[in-house]
Amino acid sequence: MSDKQQVFVRRRIEAVAGLLALGLVMLLVRAVDLQWLQADYLTSLAEKQRYRQFTAVAPRGPILDSKGRTLAESVEIPSIAAMADEVPAERVNELARALGLPSEKVGRKLNKRHGFVWLARQVPPSIARKVMALNIPGVRMETEWRRYHPMGPETGHLLGFVGIDGKGLEGVERSWNAALTGEAGIRQVRRDARGHSLPDGIWLRESTAGKSIKLTTDASIQSIAYAALAEGVRSQKAKGGSVVVLRPKDGAVLAMVNWPGYNPNNYRQHKPGQWRNRAVTDVFEPGSTLKPFSVAAALASGKWQSDSIVYCENGAMQVADYTIHDDHPEGWLDVTGILVKSSNIGVAKMALDIGADPLHDMLTKAGFGLRSQMGLGGESPGIVLSPDRWGPVETANIAFGQGIAVTPLQLAAAFSVLANEGLYVAPRLVEGGMEAPQNVGHRVMDASIARQVMSMLEYATSVDGTGSKAVPVGYRVAGKTGTAQKPDARGRYSKGKYTAVFAGVAPVDDPQLVIVVVIDEPQKSMYGGQVAAPIFRHIAESALPYLGVPAQITNQGQWQAMEIATEAPVFAADSTYGMSLREVRRFAATRGLRLHVRGSGWVTRQKPANVAALNSGEELEVWLNE
Amino acid sequence: MGSFLKPWLLVPVLAGLLAAGQIWLSHLRYELSLETQALSAEKQIVQGESSKLRLELASMTRPERLRKLAQQELGMAPPSPAQVVHP
Repeated sequence: MSDKQQVFVRRRIEAVAGLLALGLVMLLVRAVDLQWLQADYLTSLAEKQRYRQFTAVAPRGPILDSKGRTLAESVEIPSIAAMADEVPAERVNELARALGLPSEKVGRKLNKRHGFVWLARQVPPSIARKVMALNIPGVRMETEWRRYHPMGPETGHLLGFVGIDGKGLEGVERSWNAALTGEAGIRQVRRDARGHSLPDGIWLRESTAGKSIKLTTDASIQSIAYAALAEGVRSQKAKGGSVVVLRPKDGAVLAMVNWPGYNPNNYRQHKPGQWRNRAVTDVFEPGSTLKPFSVAAALASGKWQSDSIVYCENGAMQVADYTIHDDHPEGWLDVTGILVKSSNIGVAKMALDIGADPLHDMLTKAGFGLRSQMGLGGESPGIVLSPDRWGPVETANIAFGQGIAVTPLQLAAAFSVLANEGLYVAPRLVEGGMEAPQNVGHRVMDASIARQVMSMLEYATSVDGTGSKAVPVGYRVAGKTGTAQKPDARGRYSKGKYTAVFAGVAPVDDPQLVIVVVIDEPQKSMYGGQVAAPIFRHIAESALPYLGVPAQITNQGQWQAMEIATEAPVFAADSTYGMSLREVRRFAATRGLRLHVRGSGWVTRQKPANVAALNSGEELEVWLNE
Repeated sequence: MGSFLKPWLLVPVLAGLLAAGQIWLSHLRYELSLETQALSAEKQIVQGESSKLRLELASMTRPERLRKLAQQELGMAPPSPAQVVHP
């Protein structure tokens, strides 16, 4: 090898070594760059690949009635979404057909934005399956929670509803939203090369399931009340109405309904004004239903006894520059008579005699003018003027329920005081310790006064009283009717607009139910006794047997009742003439008539003449002759 | 023969055994984790199913529907109080 060749080989070796050295240096630089300069960024990239976060869903807790029946439940249902710019334009028609939407609408949604868009939220699973089967690029299925209220309009106002984002917007759903809502948890897991999770996951945030809420209401009574109210409002062509049913012993709200109702599963189709639970948010003038409390205040003052008599001025009395009228002019009445005949002048005189303070005190203690603190949002405290603003006219008016505004719930809670022998038990809606702290069980009046007022109210539902239509056959009811003119837009009493009210307790000897019925603007009659009392009877006669309170039928043995229960209604007769005693009893029992029998043998005379027109609970009198 | 069995040989053998055990355990752990994942997914499906069924039950037995069925299909009527002997 010549020198020249040796030099060439050496140069080559040196060049290769130089290149190798350069390569090593570059590797070193790259290593420093990757391991040091870019370390944080690359570590995070790797972790993103290895770790994955899962959201563990926490469904909203169910709402149950007092017997554990489901009133509200959340279920997971599919929603269809899309990455707008990934959906091919030629497949939009196909997509729209599967969704059951007009293709222009789907096109509009897709053109609105580039990224994620909702196409149809909360769709039936069958539609979702159909859409996904088309396998259109960019279209995807997400799952969302949807709240269902199986009883629909019957519990609509009470339970409220949940918005599409899972937040309670009205009623119980809103007031107890925090307890019902669960918190979604986040879990981080490591994945292997195949994408399977490795077992060492950690909770970044533990999920907490939404709590279930048990209400005091009873689905059956709620349904009974809603049906009775709906029928009553329709038959009177009224604007609306509310019913509250309480169990007086513990203040449990058994039912709370309003008409017209709305379907919470479909709340968007109703106006926001229709969502309001008017039994707690709206006030009305209680009219004569307030009189029992004025009488109780008078009796508690010691100045008046149950047999005291009052001159009722034959229907008109001047107080300051204002004349008080009675619908039925009366002369002398005892205190019971004042309640039975519902004399405004009678209670006004008693109230003026005892003065404003005792009456105001009684009304406040019975819960008027204060929120019940039951926990429902939007509750109105009602309107009770402070006693320093009570002149003689105000005192007289408030005594018979004008110039004061109450909610149906307040009136029911106040009548519970009479049923509880003078003890106020705050109404409650939620079982268990979830409700707001409340002042449980304070005394409003002596037990003896409550008992006296109750017996007066029982007279008020007798045949002579205004509330006779409230009494179901076989039960004793204490209650009071009321009719109040509604104020018009200018704050004056309107001429043709009334609120008809009935508030009562059944049965008298062991009160199980307090029912308040308020009917707004009835058209056929304005009187509480004609309009609201039959609804009370309807609810009481269905709910009392359901609660295990038997009717006390005095003129009928058990064996006869059994026979009737199994027998087909054979009496389509229009008259009772010629019937035997046994037959006429069966006739009356099957139609729910109150029978008065005179004599024995066969029927020779009946009153009224047209028995076919009699309704259940009405009276039939027959004379029998051998 | 006996000259091969030195006490220090125990060390690599034990290390091998431990390593094999470790691999076996991690495999078991992996299998179990797959199983728990499948089970928890199934649990979620069953929970969803049960809430759907509860809802269906509540909807089928709602008093208003039963009342309508009793009255229209079975020809029943609400009993008068006199007909209710033992409520």
